[in-house]
Amino acid sequence: MIGRLGKRLMPAALTTGSLLAFVAFWQVVSLYTNPDFLPSPGRVWDEAVRLFHTPVGGKDILAHVGFSLRRVLTAYLWATVLGLPLGLCMGWNRTCEKIVSPIFELLRPIPPIAWIPIAILWLGVAEGSKVFICFVGSFVILVLNSYTGMRYVDPLLIDAARSFGASRRQQFFNVAVPACLPSIFAGLQNALSMAWMCVLAAELVGAREGVGFIIIQGMDLNRPPMILVGMILIGIVGSLLAASLRWAERALCPWRRELV
Amino acid sequence: METAATYPYAANRKTKVQVENLTKCYGDLLVLDKINFEIYQGELLCIVGPTGCGKTTFLNCLSQFIPMTEGSILVDGVPASPEIHNIAFVFQEVSAIPWLTVEDNIRFGLRIKRLPEAEIELRTERMLDLVGLRKYRTYYPQQLSASMEQRVVIARNFAINPDLLLMDEPYGQLDVKLRYYLEDELIRIWKELGSTVAFITHNIEEAIYLAERILILSPKPSTIKEEVIVDLPRPRQYDDPEFVRLREYVTERIKWW
Ligand SMILES: Nc1ncnc2c1ncn2[C@@H]1O[C@H](COP(=O)(O)OP(=O)(O)OP(=O)(O)O)[C@@H](O)[C@H]1O
Ligand SMILES: [Mg+2]
Repeated sequence: MIGRLGKRLMPAALTTGSLLAFVAFWQVVSLYTNPDFLPSPGRVWDEAVRLFHTPVGGKDILAHVGFSLRRVLTAYLWATVLGLPLGLCMGWNRTCEKIVSPIFELLRPIPPIAWIPIAILWLGVAEGSKVFICFVGSFVILVLNSYTGMRYVDPLLIDAARSFGASRRQQFFNVAVPACLPSIFAGLQNALSMAWMCVLAAELVGAREGVGFIIIQGMDLNRPPMILVGMILIGIVGSLLAASLRWAERALCPWRRELV
Repeated sequence: METAATYPYAANRKTKVQVENLTKCYGDLLVLDKINFEIYQGELLCIVGPTGCGKTTFLNCLSQFIPMTEGSILVDGVPASPEIHNIAFVFQEVSAIPWLTVEDNIRFGLRIKRLPEAEIELRTERMLDLVGLRKYRTYYPQQLSASMEQRVVIARNFAINPDLLLMDEPYGQLDVKLRYYLEDELIRIWKELGSTVAFITHNIEEAIYLAERILILSPKPSTIKEEVIVDLPRPRQYDDPEFVRLREYVTERIKWW
């Protein structure tokens, strides 16, 4: 029999259980493989502890995370400021759609990573090109999500506003924008994940700091545990970013909260 | 048309809406064919007709959601327009706004019309009582049952004190018990506020229960086939012989199957 408390604890127990099982599986596999090939969880842990105390490339590990985050957030901010209004505009206004979407359809299939060489050519190997790659990745997603969200706004709701004599402006701000908030949020989440993936790709190509640099450094120094620490950091930071946006969505879209 | 019966009915009533030669084609498809009628101030008018005869189309013309092909609709002597007239519209599908709570849904139209905040509060409180949703004021539409949601929409529309309330088969999706309940509620609110209501339905019983006057549309291309005055005391009884006679009469006159 599962009591009420049990029901509340159940999901947490399942999450912890699955993480523990994953680590156990990793441990078992690492027992039977060459440690240079797959270091055991223990060794990775030790490496993580070591990295927290000894700087890599002159900076400690949190500073590296900070560098990556700063690039991501700068790019993400720009992508949001430019991409959201553009997407909403495309979805709302036929003329805007006709003008922007052909260019956009052409640029869309180009993966952000394919921009790396040209970005370096334009902006140099320093911050500029890395931020640019992240920007491209998240911008495309933000535009697409807000655009499709706007296209699928229930016309009935617009008509309801029109029947009260709402101006175009009121229809846009009072109905269309709130109606596509869920898809805007989906876009914000995907775009942030994308920016985070892009920063690593960018950092793998010539960086002196950042989480990607740790991985490259681990490879150059031939330290597999260091590579894994870098990868795990990527995972942790990425999921924390996603969780914070989910939290923001729950706070800002209370009508979407599931009620049990 | 039973013009003889119409005249005493119209005798001391002011014309609210004047529909003249209203014609609507979708491409080659003629849906409304030179329709002429009027809606009087403060009346509860039901419009019945077979499905697909153009009832929704008529309301969409009236609220200018779609352009009419020919003819004119005048409200108080000027061409109908949501910007000028206080027209409220209950759609065939329930149109409560999902991201607004019950009370904010009721405020929605008032805010669009930029009424003073104090007036908005006053009317919202009144409507909450009128449709009995005070306890649910902070609920979101998704947390309500279908009939409660429809009541939110009705409250939202009555809140703007509409000169003209258009209802397009608002109770079509609801079960019989809820429909009876909401019909009584509509009559009560209509009497209390003295609004003009045009109620579209294809349920004859519902039309006779509600209406002071019924317009029967023919299948498309639609014209007004007949006008029936329902002069029964309220509350009306479904098994009252006069009610039954009228129902059979209207059914006979429609014969759209
Ligand atoms: N946007 C449109 N384009 C083309 N034809 C349309 C359009 N809207 C409606 N029609 C046609 O016009 C006719 C009348 O439609 P309308 O929706 O007004 O019927 P209705 O009387 O409201 O029917 P119901 O009782 O099912 O709601 C139908 O035959 C329909 O196919
Ligand atoms: Mg219809």
